[in-house]
Amino acid sequence: MTAQDFESINSGQALPSLTKHITVEQIRQYAEASGDRNPIHLDETFARSAGLPGVIAHGMLTMAFANQMLTDWLGDRSRLKRLQGRFAGMVLPGDDVTCSGSVASKDEQTRRVVINLVVTNQRGEKVLNKGVAEAEFSTQRSDNHAT
Amino acid sequence: MTDARWVGRSYETEPFVVTEQSIRDYMAAVGDVADAGELVAPPTYAMVYGFDAYWQLWTDQEVALDVAHLVHGEQRFNFQRPVRAGDRLRTTGRLTAINTRGDMELVTFELSARDEKDRPVSDATALFIIRKA
Repeated sequence: MTAQDFESINSGQALPSLTKHITVEQIRQYAEASGDRNPIHLDETFARSAGLPGVIAHGMLTMAFANQMLTDWLGDRSRLKRLQGRFAGMVLPGDDVTCSGSVASKDEQTRRVVINLVVTNQRGEKVLNKGVAEAEFSTQRSDNHAT
Repeated sequence: MTDARWVGRSYETEPFVVTEQSIRDYMAAVGDVADAGELVAPPTYAMVYGFDAYWQLWTDQEVALDVAHLVHGEQRFNFQRPVRAGDRLRTTGRLTAINTRGDMELVTFELSARDEKDRPVSDATALFIIRKA
């Protein structure tokens, strides 16, 4: 990761987008790593009986992709201070989801940047909307050892 | 319909000891393998160290959420400091609202994670939607 330079950021600028292909295997791997083994994510029969079209990806997997788009651009995971979004649509195995973001505002005093973001599927439908993130470019690196 | 009298109920995790393996497993699962020297967990790793608070809510037999029809509606995080291997984090979750919208039920869960010196690490608000059976 190359650290993003605060001075070169412009309001309105687009972040590099990030596209991910969703597989059953990735959903299983996320269930294992997160502990969230809700059968709507793992069991096709159960998911259908719950009224879903089949197993669906965890919403937090989609948000993790948005997180990655942000931190890839920031170049330092410590800079992300806020992340929020609404899960607007289901993500199914086989889908390709694309995370996009743009700089909504930049505050020279606080050295904070607000980013609007959205995640869409291959049909252009929003699967995460009302996405907002905030990053801080401290002059000193934020650290849990600091007082 | 979940009984509104459970609003205010809270759940606390045991201290979660963050390991490099756990961070790397999470990074592999979400496909975020970028590494800039020192290993810092992706901020959304908050779902891993806080997961037991969510699990306690979902499996609380008295509250009895209809988890088969539960989907994640919204999520908000604030991150007060980065998380690294060696951190011991404790998360408290509180059921703060149960509302209805049309034939859906909306359950709000607010979480706060602190380190072993009781300093804030992250906080979160999750909104779960329970669809009509």
